[in-house]
Amino acid sequence: MSQASEREGLSAETGRAILDLAAEVGGVAMLAGRLLRRLAPPRLDGPELARNLHRMGVKSLPIVGVTALFTGGIMVIQAGVLIRRFGAEGLLGWGAGFATLREVGPILIALMFSGRVGANNTAELGTMTVTEQIAALETLAIDPLSYLILPRCIAMVVMLFMLTVYGDVLALAGSALMGQALLGVSVATFFNGFLETIRVWDLATGLIKSVLYGVIIALSSCHFGLTVTGGAPGVGRAVNTSVVASATGIFVTDYFSTYLLG
Amino acid sequence: MPPRRVIELRGITKRFVDGPPVLRGVDLTVPRGCLYGLVGPGAAGKSVLLKLVVGLLRPDAGALLIEGEDITGLDELRLHRVRARIGMLFQNNALFDHMTVGENIAFPLRRAGVTDAAALAERVADRLRMVSLPGFEDRMPAGLSGGQKKRIGVARATALKADIVLYDEPAAGLDPVTSQKIFDTLRAEQREAGATVVMVSSDIERLLTITDRVGMLHRGRLIFDGTTAEALASRDPRVDQFVHGKTDGPL
Amino acid sequence: MAPPVAPATPPDDALDGDAERPRPRGLAADTGQLLIEGVRAFRGLFDVALRTVYWSLKGRREKGVVLEQAFEIGNKSVFFLTVTQGFIGMILVFQSGLQARRVVPDLTMLGATFLELLVRDLAATLASMMLATRVGAGIAAEIGSMVVTEQVDALRMCGVDPVDWLVVPRFLASVVMTGVLIFYAGAIAYFAGGATAWAVFDVQPQTYLNARLLDIGDVSIGLAKCVAYGAAIPIVSGWCGLSARGGSEGVGIATTQAVVFSSLAVIILNLVISGVGFVLFPV
Repeated sequence: MSQASEREGLSAETGRAILDLAAEVGGVAMLAGRLLRRLAPPRLDGPELARNLHRMGVKSLPIVGVTALFTGGIMVIQAGVLIRRFGAEGLLGWGAGFATLREVGPILIALMFSGRVGANNTAELGTMTVTEQIAALETLAIDPLSYLILPRCIAMVVMLFMLTVYGDVLALAGSALMGQALLGVSVATFFNGFLETIRVWDLATGLIKSVLYGVIIALSSCHFGLTVTGGAPGVGRAVNTSVVASATGIFVTDYFSTYLLG
Repeated sequence: MPPRRVIELRGITKRFVDGPPVLRGVDLTVPRGCLYGLVGPGAAGKSVLLKLVVGLLRPDAGALLIEGEDITGLDELRLHRVRARIGMLFQNNALFDHMTVGENIAFPLRRAGVTDAAALAERVADRLRMVSLPGFEDRMPAGLSGGQKKRIGVARATALKADIVLYDEPAAGLDPVTSQKIFDTLRAEQREAGATVVMVSSDIERLLTITDRVGMLHRGRLIFDGTTAEALASRDPRVDQFVHGKTDGPL
Repeated sequence: MAPPVAPATPPDDALDGDAERPRPRGLAADTGQLLIEGVRAFRGLFDVALRTVYWSLKGRREKGVVLEQAFEIGNKSVFFLTVTQGFIGMILVFQSGLQARRVVPDLTMLGATFLELLVRDLAATLASMMLATRVGAGIAAEIGSMVVTEQVDALRMCGVDPVDWLVVPRFLASVVMTGVLIFYAGAIAYFAGGATAWAVFDVQPQTYLNARLLDIGDVSIGLAKCVAYGAAIPIVSGWCGLSARGGSEGVGIATTQAVVFSSLAVIILNLVISGVGFVLFPV
């Protein structure tokens, strides 16, 4: 900490950073390819999948619930500024609902999911890697990808999707309650406005995005967990990198999917 | 006349959340000037007991007295007064990895109010000679071997000339020669200062060459407490097996 | 739960098998346990917060410690914030442009509205969510690994409050740096949004750069959020690090908890400050 490592030129540092980035992206893509091959006839450990679905999904319910309720409340406050300015109460359901379903809900729930489940997954796989448990599986002729990784990836994608549905519902409930409490807009007015203006497509774009985010979190958390080097401190670094990579991936994907899905 | 009992545990029980009790009603007394060896199989609660003595952990039941003062319910500030008289070597050495070896050894002295740079440097050099690592002042802990870290830990634990010193595995990871040397040095220093020492070690054979009294923890209970000679002659099959390192027996 | 015994000691038959015995539990017992743990955790967090404030006012620090942490926080986050906030600025303007076109045909107020929203909420909250991930995880990992290697115990043996020594420098650095980084992140998002508005909706830069909707309320709320988030992230993450138990797995758990709980703290504080601000500064 005290001695800074030897300073390199900016161009050398940038070049190295770009090469590292390319290597990581390539690694994630390779992992995705190898996992897809194992899906073609599905080679998958059933009980392991069930176990992961439970601990990744059910255990995340409280944190996702709280996040969604509060987010719904916040969206109403932000929309409330506009409502007051234009005096249109009927627009509250639209203003809060549109943003929640399309953008804010899926993103915040994905970030929370990445922090809880993705980071945990990297830490677990990383510990297994540095303690050579993964190598031990291979010597027992058990394929770690179909036994360990594939169930986790599928569980993460499925569970993030379902948690987003659950979170959307709670966020709307939070919005309605906050609208009633802070703006005096009745719950009925809120939902009438919501149902009149929100199309099924608004809900669908958000859910499609949640699947994409699930894939990103699953792949990056597994990739960084499997490539840990350097013992216990390496595990800590990998967790950090994986969460950061997931967040970056989520925002980049969000941008492109918003363009494509309209 | 200061009390003869320097460390006294009365019915100490400790358990962690979601686990079985680590210590179950332990009574233990260490008299002044005694080198007390604490032995027992792994996970018997030895390290936990040491941390209880200095208030780093709090017991769930029972009382803990240091020189007659009940420290069981003291707050962190008052505990500091007690800890200032105690040196401690941790099982994992606990060297601060953002400080050099020299800074590590000087840290307890600085915190105790020693500011004179020459006196600090002198004491640090003296401690490093004691553990046979002279000239290591400017090394970083990350670059040391396990055994070297252990010896720096010993140097730091003894930097303050404390009346009470607790050692958790002072010889772990050391070769037999260095190990015996460390044990002998610690014994000599303890005799000279009249300090009260509790030592936990898995190296039973060497430990018993220097102890005055021995206690054995097993499954959270103190199953033996007596002089070293009594321990070596004990008829209790568990103690007999453990101190003589026999493979067959009740353990 | 991680085993309470020190990591180096191998498990032994001495545990009496208590650990393996499954305890019958109902929903009520589960909920009760969760509640008790919640209360205990909250008291621990409150204790760390209190001691952080106390030592920030009273403690003395060696020179350069806070600066070092500030550099660490900035250095870790600038690139990450640039990427994420750049994209979020583009997304938000694109999305709200689409939305607004359905209601009002002209987009002249797009820039002004976006700026207000950024100052009032999004700049601080989104950047802090990112900082909670990046900085929070780092703090918890560093402090957590000092806990499991007994360095924190060694500090306490020398009469040092670990909160004073480890949390307070990060706290002071974070309060300052979070403000700076939020300003930076907000600027990135604003200009990325401006570029999108120009490219997609043909909103000219001179129309986009419009601060007419900003008022004292927006700025006060934004600043309050900067300070609150900057204070909350190191306290929550420091508390997670200090509660680490067990070996490297314990550090991993503490790190994840830091990310989740600091993000949650940001969301909760956001609701509270936004609500209070909404009542205090009527439009």
